Amino acid sequence: MTTDTDLVETLSAYLANRLGADGPVAIEDMERIAVGWSHETWLFDAVWNDGEPRRQGMCLRRDPGNALLREMSDLEEQYRVLTCLASTDVPAPKVFWFEPDPAVLGAPALIMEKVPGECPSPWRRAGREYYAAAAERGVLPESFTDALAAIHTADWQGVGLDFLGVPALGDDFARREIAKWQRLIEESGHPGHPILDDLIGWLDANAPSTDRLTLVHGAYRTGNVLIHDDRVSAVLDWELQVIGDPMYDVAYMLTELNREGTDLLSNVVPRDLFFERYQTTTGIEIDEDRCRYYQLLYAMRSAAFWMSAAGLYADGRNNDLRLARTEWSVTVALERAAQELGY
Amino acid sequence: MTLPVHEQLRRLADTLRNDVGPAVADEYTRTQAFMSSVILQRLAAQVEHGPRHSSTEAAHTATLHSALAGVLAAAPPDVAQARAEAAAAGTVASLGPLIRALYGWGSDRAEVQQALEAIRPVLRADIDRRMEIAT
Repeated sequence: MTTDTDLVETLSAYLANRLGADGPVAIEDMERIAVGWSHETWLFDAVWNDGEPRRQGMCLRRDPGNALLREMSDLEEQYRVLTCLASTDVPAPKVFWFEPDPAVLGAPALIMEKVPGECPSPWRRAGREYYAAAAERGVLPESFTDALAAIHTADWQGVGLDFLGVPALGDDFARREIAKWQRLIEESGHPGHPILDDLIGWLDANAPSTDRLTLVHGAYRTGNVLIHDDRVSAVLDWELQVIGDPMYDVAYMLTELNREGTDLLSNVVPRDLFFERYQTTTGIEIDEDRCRYYQLLYAMRSAAFWMSAAGLYADGRNNDLRLARTEWSVTVALERAAQELGY
Repeated sequence: MTLPVHEQLRRLADTLRNDVGPAVADEYTRTQAFMSSVILQRLAAQVEHGPRHSSTEAAHTATLHSALAGVLAAAPPDVAQARAEAAAAGTVASLGPLIRALYGWGSDRAEVQQALEAIRPVLRADIDRRMEIAT
């Protein structure tokens, strides 16, 4: 992996080639904004001249090969998804290039535009205060709901997102998700716990049927969207998207896990507003029984995430002690699963 | 005087949290110091409570297997084998294969429901013990 200084130099050379600049491309105001868990993320301004002076805010994401989702999170897939979303109403960053060769930028990398906006963490007090104030003003709750509605009404077939894999109507979507998270659990090497066997058995025996498929973000919540002037300027974290049941995202909106001591869904949307506006905008009726099922599926997914993280540390693939600590986060996720199963 | 191991680990955790972490300027390295402290606290709890948890686990699973012997008397061979192996192991972890075998037999069967109802309190007690360490 390259050092920061190396990265500036290699990025400058890479962009000069890509942009057809008449000379070097300067990399200014570079900062790393995410450390450790997923892909590396860097923000910077590229400054160059191609007959006219140019400046473009950019975002670089690199895959160091030891991220939480392992090979399930694929930058090339993110590149393709963002390319497809460019012709939809979904607010998403414009994507520029995908570089698969690790020799070029130090790791497989994706470069996209730097979208204006902020992304307060809902897990911190300042973030919760930010979302509570925005909820009072009233614009962000509507915009946040509308962005999810845009995802669920996007013409995924028309823009070519069927490359993500299309489940059959019926219970195929739920079964695919169960299988996906079982794979991650197996890859983690974690010994597991019988509560997880009980949960997976229950999920398999009760897989719900869906008769409508949409693009599903997979982690739609505050903290995964950029906000500018009280509106969602970009939906981020395109790592878990699938074609599937829109109730999977709605369940994530409704879950108590994404609220920190507030009744506001995802810390920002009043429940009544969400139901009324989402259903009116999408024409999709919210099925709370299916949402409850998916909340159990999220319990399995959480356990899988933490097992994967703990396994990355145990395998020596990642020395970040935050991953080692997730050994005990598995316990918390399983306790939650037991509660969801009624014991 | 030598401190018990769990006390020693707690002291190390306190030093990392109160003395080492705050003195580190680099954010990532400081976070690692604090995480080390958290991990040592968890390990201290594990060392302290481990023997008591193990004996409770053995008692709970022994009682459970006595009950399951009646509930699953007419179970198919794969379930019977999983039950026998779980009973021999006498651990909560060994209930995993039995649960999988039960769901494989059919979650809508009365015997399976009865068996799961017997198993779940044991799992609940186990996760409560683990939560003593994890939080």
